Amino acid sequence: MEASAAIPSVAWPQRLANFRIIPPVETYPVVTKFAKTAIGKLFLLALFALGLRLAMQDWLPLSVGLAAITFVPVRRRILLTILTLLFTFAVPWAKWPHPLYTSALIVFVIGTGAMLFWLAVALPRSFLGRHPVFLLLSGYSALIIFAAYFPNDTHWYLTVWEFTATFGAYLWFIGYSLLDCRAPGRDDFAFQLGTYRPFWGSPTTPFVKGSGYLRRIEAKDADQLAVTQLKGLKLLAWSLLISLFTKYFSQYVHGSVGIPTFADAFFHSVNRAPFPWYTCWASLVTGFLDDMLAISIIGHRIVACCRMAGFNALRNTYRPLSSRTIAEFWNRYYFYFKELMVDFFFFPVFLNYFKTRKKLRIAVATFAAAGFGNAFYHYVFYLNYISQLGLWRSLAAYHVYIFYCTVLATAICISQLRKRGPAPSGYFRGHLVPTFCVALFYCLLHVFDYTERTYPISEHFRFLAHLFNLTI
Amino acid sequence: MDHREEIRSFLKTLLLDKGDKQPFSDDASLLLSGRLASVDAVEIVVFLEEKFSVNFAELGFDQVLIDSVDAIDALIPAVNK
Repeated sequence: MEASAAIPSVAWPQRLANFRIIPPVETYPVVTKFAKTAIGKLFLLALFALGLRLAMQDWLPLSVGLAAITFVPVRRRILLTILTLLFTFAVPWAKWPHPLYTSALIVFVIGTGAMLFWLAVALPRSFLGRHPVFLLLSGYSALIIFAAYFPNDTHWYLTVWEFTATFGAYLWFIGYSLLDCRAPGRDDFAFQLGTYRPFWGSPTTPFVKGSGYLRRIEAKDADQLAVTQLKGLKLLAWSLLISLFTKYFSQYVHGSVGIPTFADAFFHSVNRAPFPWYTCWASLVTGFLDDMLAISIIGHRIVACCRMAGFNALRNTYRPLSSRTIAEFWNRYYFYFKELMVDFFFFPVFLNYFKTRKKLRIAVATFAAAGFGNAFYHYVFYLNYISQLGLWRSLAAYHVYIFYCTVLATAICISQLRKRGPAPSGYFRGHLVPTFCVALFYCLLHVFDYTERTYPISEHFRFLAHLFNLTI
Repeated sequence: MDHREEIRSFLKTLLLDKGDKQPFSDDASLLLSGRLASVDAVEIVVFLEEKFSVNFAELGFDQVLIDSVDAIDALIPAVNK
């Protein structure tokens, strides 16, 4: 079949409207047909490996892993577990200063996760069986308190903190497997293990959620696998393009144009030598864009690898600047973090409290997720501050981020509860104004998106006021 | 209106609110495919609780349970059918 015959013919104006920088190759029958053949798969894997080589250092083992999982699709889930174990222990082994010790810590953490999983499955009517995630998060909080008060003059001190940090790295992955305990057709622990920091790479926020999600998005046949892998390849290409753009964007705005980075502008403000207010605006906007681009690059690369492994996962970042509401932006900016908050905090509260009062119910659940959950996640993420400052001083110094979470939760809450009439027609009022307002809100909130513990909130308000040429 | 039609109509309204006018079949994934978001999942949960007395606190919530017309239909207690 000729390519021209396979691609549906579309009128030129329509083609222009549908123009994509990377064409939707997964919709071209001739391409998907080729991607299903052994040579096609090899070609896709080679292209993907080339892309990975441009994006990261450990591209070779990852490419080999993806090749293995591509050619044995019927054993995909167990291969995922095997590859994840290899990438957990074997691949980084030589880089660890004390490989046996580090491995022992990880084994102990995974063993704890396995024990919790089996107990929750075996005793579904027990407190653990009914509230496994609550027990997990309470237990981890207790572990942090224990570590914070552990005498620092004993040789166990470092081990306690290293174990706490290792457990923290697996916390939300174990949580997702516990959420899967009650699901119909749940996976065995052997499959759950494949989602504990999967081999395609994941930050502490599980990419892409847990075993329950993977079994639903897994390619069921050769056609789906071909489409999923083509989408993975496209996403990696998109990640590389954004990466290239970011490089030149940063060089241009921070180099040629001379706009200071946001951190630099803030530091000058703290030292009472602020840049002019308009320069601070430029720093804030470029800093906001820098963060968005950085999240897109990493998120796209990880999801691309996941798709290449045969799981049709949603993107982590999807056109955030096209969001017309504050809640929509939160969904589009960092999807898997938002999902984490929704799965672990929003729905447990929403389904159990204030069931007769809809608005209050949504408000409380939103605060549980975007407010409390968000603050909790970041507080336990930065263990270094707790070990250095102690429990209470690190919590007190965390007030800027707590304020950030409170404002964010309030705004999302209002965004969700607000009754909307029909969207205004026209590009300007219907699209440009709402998207601009949403972006402006998040841009201003970015001033308080601060998880370090160095400067008090007054400095952040000072910077905010300076943006409007005010002095406080 | 039969309950399946009611579900379909409700999901259609949610999709239209998002500007999604594409048709969908009864087994089409709406949440996991990204056509609907978790904000919409909340609306579906409330709809099912109010209309069909589905109790997710007892069932255990999972987005896959409300991912399609078929999935939602399977949730509705027999007494309501």
